[in-house]
Amino acid sequence: MSLKDKACIVGIGSTEFTRNAGRSEIHLAVDAAMAACEDAGLAPEQIDGCVRFGTAGAIAVEFATESDVARCLGIPNLRYFVEAPWGGGACCATVMHAAAAVALGLANYVLCFRAIRAASGTVRYGRPANIPIDSHWSWTMPFGFQSPTSWVAMFTQRWMHETGATREQLGAVALVCRENALRNPRSMFYGRPLTMEEYLNSSTMCEPFRLHDTCLENDGAVAVIVTTPERAKDLKQTPAYVAAAAEATGWDSYCMTSFYRPEIGIPEMEETGKDLFRMADMTPGDIQVAQFYDAFTSLVPMQLEALGFVKKGEGGPFCEGGDRIRPTGKLPINTSGGMLSEAYIHGMNMISEGVRQIRGTSTTQIKGAERVLVTGGLGVPTSALILTKGR
Amino acid sequence: MALQLNKRYVKYYFEPVAESFEEGFWEHIKRRELVFQRCGQCREWLHPPRPMCHKCKSEDLRWEKSTGKGKVYSWVVFTREVNPLYVVPFEVVLVEMDDEKPVRMVANMLDTKPEEISFGMPVEVDFFDVTAEQTIPIFKKRTS
Repeated sequence: MSLKDKACIVGIGSTEFTRNAGRSEIHLAVDAAMAACEDAGLAPEQIDGCVRFGTAGAIAVEFATESDVARCLGIPNLRYFVEAPWGGGACCATVMHAAAAVALGLANYVLCFRAIRAASGTVRYGRPANIPIDSHWSWTMPFGFQSPTSWVAMFTQRWMHETGATREQLGAVALVCRENALRNPRSMFYGRPLTMEEYLNSSTMCEPFRLHDTCLENDGAVAVIVTTPERAKDLKQTPAYVAAAAEATGWDSYCMTSFYRPEIGIPEMEETGKDLFRMADMTPGDIQVAQFYDAFTSLVPMQLEALGFVKKGEGGPFCEGGDRIRPTGKLPINTSGGMLSEAYIHGMNMISEGVRQIRGTSTTQIKGAERVLVTGGLGVPTSALILTKGR
Repeated sequence: MALQLNKRYVKYYFEPVAESFEEGFWEHIKRRELVFQRCGQCREWLHPPRPMCHKCKSEDLRWEKSTGKGKVYSWVVFTREVNPLYVVPFEVVLVEMDDEKPVRMVANMLDTKPEEISFGMPVEVDFFDVTAEQTIPIFKKRTS
């Protein structure tokens, strides 16, 4: 038995992406969920399952609960609900859980969502964390080692040393994402081009990262709806089949601070990739467009290596100049602008962009895209999806 | 440079908290000793500590003194203030210890400029008092 093609994404919805949404996470979640229902052609009352983001290293990530969303949308009863933990690592896992639930008949229509106020809310990922007491943070926090940027910088610095990756190669990732965002009116950076000179001269955050190596901080919510292929036939949209969904912790994992294992890179994505491609019965060469989790530029070439698109040490050179990852290149990436330039919704906006590629409705549409990869957050246990047009 | 605290903001210090099996590490640090957890059965070194040896599943775990010497495995330099207690720029190093098994640990640097740090740079442990009650390990350059 396999989960392959047992479920599809039939609805995607989002709020506007903004520096200040002027409303709470619950309100944002409800707006995105309603938009996903309308997109799918479903009445909210038909939703009977929900997957939301869980905790990451003792930090409560999602403020809107499944009960909040159900109550506000008038959903009479949820008969399946679960949390996917580890922040951005959870994004594709939400769809994995939803797919498993509909495939087994635990629910018919499962809503997956993330509502975030990373710009105007109480939790600012770029700022000193007001973090609950949890002993694993004691190995980093007392040393002022207190931001996600710095934690990813630590393993990026080592990876750059081992592979010889350059700032310009990372800059190419930032530039390609920005070019894609310039075609996407929803993006936070719409109408604001970026040059290599601006990238290289941008203010330093935490060496080796500069401003444009890091993703946006913004408010917004994204929701997607998962159901079975049979039920999808009665709905409005071309379904995006879940050809594979997988998650993995990897060896010796902590919340963003897994510095004690043999390799401090992103082994969680290597493990995820093994299950993912096996389930889909594909190889990386079959993927036509990828939405790589890009909270930081280095994560793109590191994932190219971890998932086997290129050999170790070739991720940086693959990105150099940007042509291979542009829409006309060998592997177009992050066609909405990604989290570097569209918006940071903890990866859920990368899933909706993957669905748009399957439907043929992206603002940077890749011609004939039938096999799309979407990946989850790194430095934490993570997840990934392969979406297709189906059998 | 190196670690420099703005004591006006000492309330922003994150006091280490410990699980029962981690307390020994911080108790030794208070006595200015660097120890790591070691399995009394299979002799595996474990850091950060855990309740059971991940290798042989024994719970006979002991504290063993480290040589205190190691090499820089990776590092970052905070150039933009995140927590006002820590004056920028300052470095955070990930050090691979020269002990029998090269466990790694995170700490700051004493008397070092950011541009002096390099991969494999030899360092040795020292101790830094954040307050009268709070001590953390810290590394300094090592010539021998």
